[in-house]
Amino acid sequence: MTVETDVSVVGLPGSGKTTFLAALWHMVREDGAVTALQFDSMRKGNFEHLNTLAKRWREGSIQERTQQSGMKRVAMKLKDGAGNSTEISFPDVPGEEFSRMWEKREVDQTTAATLGAKGIVLLINGDRIQLPAWIVERNAVAAGMGLPPGDDEIVEWSADLAPTQVQVVELLQMLMSDELNVGPRRLAVLLSAWDRAEGERLTPEGLLAAKLPLLEQYLRNGRDPWTWRVWGLSAQGGIYEDPDQKQHFDDTDRLRDLARPSDRIKVVSGAYVSTDITAPIEWLVS
Amino acid sequence: MATSASTCSNPDCKVATDGKCVETYPLEECPHYGRPAVADIEPVDEQPEDSRPAVNIEPPVIALSLGEALGRAEASALQRRRASRAIGVVGPHFAGKTSLMASVYEILQEGVVAGYSFAGSSTLIGFEMICHDARAASKRPEPHTERTTVGADATFFHLDLGIGEPATIASLFIGDRSGEDYLTTADELSNAAGFFELKRADVVTILVNGEHLADAKRRHEVKASTPQLIDALVEAGSISARQRVALVLTKKDAVAASAHAERVVADFDEMVAGVVRRHGNLVTDVVPFVVAASPRIANAVKRGEGVSDLVAYWMQPVAAETPPPTQVLQMTRMIDRVVIDTEDDA
Repeated sequence: MTVETDVSVVGLPGSGKTTFLAALWHMVREDGAVTALQFDSMRKGNFEHLNTLAKRWREGSIQERTQQSGMKRVAMKLKDGAGNSTEISFPDVPGEEFSRMWEKREVDQTTAATLGAKGIVLLINGDRIQLPAWIVERNAVAAGMGLPPGDDEIVEWSADLAPTQVQVVELLQMLMSDELNVGPRRLAVLLSAWDRAEGERLTPEGLLAAKLPLLEQYLRNGRDPWTWRVWGLSAQGGIYEDPDQKQHFDDTDRLRDLARPSDRIKVVSGAYVSTDITAPIEWLVS
Repeated sequence: MATSASTCSNPDCKVATDGKCVETYPLEECPHYGRPAVADIEPVDEQPEDSRPAVNIEPPVIALSLGEALGRAEASALQRRRASRAIGVVGPHFAGKTSLMASVYEILQEGVVAGYSFAGSSTLIGFEMICHDARAASKRPEPHTERTTVGADATFFHLDLGIGEPATIASLFIGDRSGEDYLTTADELSNAAGFFELKRADVVTILVNGEHLADAKRRHEVKASTPQLIDALVEAGSISARQRVALVLTKKDAVAASAHAERVVADFDEMVAGVVRRHGNLVTDVVPFVVAASPRIANAVKRGEGVSDLVAYWMQPVAAETPPPTQVLQMTRMIDRVVIDTEDDA
């Protein structure tokens, strides 16, 4: 018997949602890959979108912006080690839809319908965490460097200037609000671009507490019924090229030189490191 | 269909073949000449409905909460969800009221405050708005605070705070009303009738502008007006028996940097003693604090200094949750706090 499960993948623009789906699809289909969830069958569905994503991922090209390609719903039929089959449906929603929820305080019903899953993958780009910074400290640093006071034009408040952790907390609060609430949910927090964030020499839990303390406090206090875990995820292993910009990087070539594309992936849970990108999904649907 | 000068809208006219108007007009005067005959007009196909160009219809939208400071009814609804503390904050403009509220939120952005950690908020947009002008993203040369609109109803900033493991969560509601509105109570007691946020407050927090108290010209006005305002609020019933009172000397950085730091603290101690003498037998307790919510000079004092102590006081259990506390007047001398803390930081 196949169990059908929805998993919502959420995150702000540039958090790596589409890259995650591309790497996941490649991984479950790569011959010999050792993963908690494995590919079961193609009996149902259309895999054109996933195949397109995986092709770009394998060749080391960055993904097309989801905003341009539009929202897609993809489904994978996977089985666990005991042979239990699960069809997991992932909507590939542009990050701008989540920004819109924060900035415009609204969500269209099409997007809302994709947010009813009991399992949520939340991607946060670990290399692009925008922290609050204060004028007084900035002035002190400038003065210490002997720089004159800035005479920039004053920037009026707008919601998009909010720190990353504030926007993410609000997104999670919205998922638990009367408008979108479906009861207790599981939440896999994936700190993406881990290859860049790991220079901090922190575990994913440590990075969450150090760089996103408001989010960590919100989750740890458990006011809203999230059952959550955090992983570090490097779904590319390094920098990818933008074909439209005719980019070429030696670092991307080094990734291509690896014996198997899945060797680019790094999934970190506590001190445990693997290439199993299905582990968070397996935890979500278990 | 193109028309030409050789056509006529009169079907009986043969001008196209014989060049003469059937109505004998000179051609240039004929009202029908040059117009197409009805029979020559091509019929316009009626466009079937389903072939019309598709209209891009946006899917219906679900409105989400605005996230701004709450109105009275919204705050009341949230207060019913869990144990809560309501805080009234009274102070003249520029006393640092908005900076104090912003400071609590900004400290939580970096970690816990007085052992309390962030569990949620319905007013994240509101907090972000009041924090903006002290943040580098505003590109302002120095921190700035927008004044609360005079005459507007009070609103509430909301934080759910957790303490312990597993966390015990309580809601904190901080009332926000223009300082000028509060000051009018000293002129006319009836002006306090609408201060619902004070009547429902567990802790009434009175701000004393430390920068003004350090200023020779403003010093005596601060010393006179603050006790008079408290007297008026007590007489108007806005401060009553079950409440606790926090007297907060703000802008510790300005006090520490002034040439009159000791005098400021002595003045503040005197004001606190006066409030205790006049109202100590009415309110549950009166406790003094010194804070630097948003110092203007880095390193002079720590940003948010003293705010943790105040939050801990705000979050103390209310009478309904535990037996009423014995009245404790923490009359430690403020001079020690200002001077010693400053020396430590240096």
